[in-house]
Amino acid sequence: MENFGIITENIHKTFHSGFFIKRHTQALRGISLSVKKGEIFGILGPNGAGKTTFLNILSTQLLQDKGKVFILGKELTSHANNELKNKLNMCSGNPNFPWSLNVQEILKFYAMLYGQSFKQSRETADKYIAMFELEKFRKTRYDELSTGSKQRLSLAKSLINNPEILFLDEPTIGLDPDIASKIRKIILNLHKEREITILITTHYMKEAEELCERIAFIKDGQIKALGTRDELLSLTNSKDLEGFFLELA
Amino acid sequence: MNSLNRMFAFTYRNFIFSFRNFFAFMELLFWPVIGLLSVGLMSNFLGLQENYASFILTGAITAGVLQVTQLDVSYSLLYDIWSKSIKHTFLAPVAHYDYILGSWILGIVRGTMVFVIMAVFSVYAFDFVLPPPMITFMFMLGLYVNALVIGMLVCLLVLLYGQRVEVTAWSLATMLMLICGIYYPVNFLPKIFLKLSEFIPLTYFLEYYRSAYGFAPLFSHSLLKGFVLSFVYVIILFYLINYSFERARRTGMILKLSE
Repeated sequence: MENFGIITENIHKTFHSGFFIKRHTQALRGISLSVKKGEIFGILGPNGAGKTTFLNILSTQLLQDKGKVFILGKELTSHANNELKNKLNMCSGNPNFPWSLNVQEILKFYAMLYGQSFKQSRETADKYIAMFELEKFRKTRYDELSTGSKQRLSLAKSLINNPEILFLDEPTIGLDPDIASKIRKIILNLHKEREITILITTHYMKEAEELCERIAFIKDGQIKALGTRDELLSLTNSKDLEGFFLELA
Repeated sequence: MNSLNRMFAFTYRNFIFSFRNFFAFMELLFWPVIGLLSVGLMSNFLGLQENYASFILTGAITAGVLQVTQLDVSYSLLYDIWSKSIKHTFLAPVAHYDYILGSWILGIVRGTMVFVIMAVFSVYAFDFVLPPPMITFMFMLGLYVNALVIGMLVCLLVLLYGQRVEVTAWSLATMLMLICGIYYPVNFLPKIFLKLSEFIPLTYFLEYYRSAYGFAPLFSHSLLKGFVLSFVYVIILFYLINYSFERARRTGMILKLSE
């Protein structure tokens, strides 16, 4: 267990909706996997496969109905574990942050949420503004930022507590290819420099090929295949991940 | 120390929100002053004695202070819901008392500003007589604690039922004020509401403050009862908010509020 950043055992999740007529949607049906410390692990799957639900469970936003989750060797319990939360962070595609705040204030706010003092939070904000080339947007309100800048801000925010585990939920969705490529480079550099364990969901096969050491393919809430890129390709005789995806989806 | 920083984060965020948004300015000045003017002019028109005029002006001031302070506590969740950023807030190691108390601190500052503005205005415009400072201080303390209870109740409802109940942030306090005898003694209320008013701390704080104008209080030990009741409610509400948050994690409400 020591060598693993994330271990999940038989995770199930069903959503219930409707008042008079109850509807039940089974989002996850027994997901078990393990992610090594320092690994970039990808989760692929068609829309509605359960990727984001899975990520939300791992990031403590959602509670599974059945199964166990271990993060850095500690079990996630029904009561969110604040000690663990200090070691996690998340960046999602189409991010949302408090709209009245500008870039600097957003970074300061989240830095303080991770326990930094007002002074420390200002230094942290400055550091990440420089790292993600957000200097000219320092005083720009969140709702006035472009999609690319929002995404960079989201990545900056996700690093503010020096996480050991980083969840990236479609981090390049809706971005121009050049900005998406830049974001991928940033992710790779961060991984190299800090040896963060990264779990990424994506729709882009190129992104998965470029970033991930191992990939799990999820469909209908179940893992249909898991392995390195080459291992996955050998399962279907596909030439690339796109072919593999089309065959399994 | 970390928790203090987290609390301050919410005070800081709420301050920026209220500083940059026009509606927050309206809450602080426009509505309370309109309320006070209406009541003050009406009391002039009716030619009320000084103590009766002060009785109803106290009601107008209470309404302004209570509403502004409890709104800040309610906003602790609502700002995040409107920005769809609640997911990121709770991704951080935030305890419920962090966002509730952090927002309450700003609520107290804004509530005090409303009180000073309204009290000064009432003294000059309507010959309002302020009770002695210690009595006023205890009354204000009571109002702030009561605002905390109302704001927490709004947070609880939002966590349980989602954004569709956000209207309670503006309506709940007003409804409770009616039952607590905001402009009249509670014994003027129908029996069932009189009984109900005994369960609301504001009733006791109003009774306590108005006794300074020579009105005999309906309840004994008003101040003590008001604070004990508020304390009990705060404890119960923290427990319920904790429960409803775990429920929201189970049902996916936290994520729904972020979409």
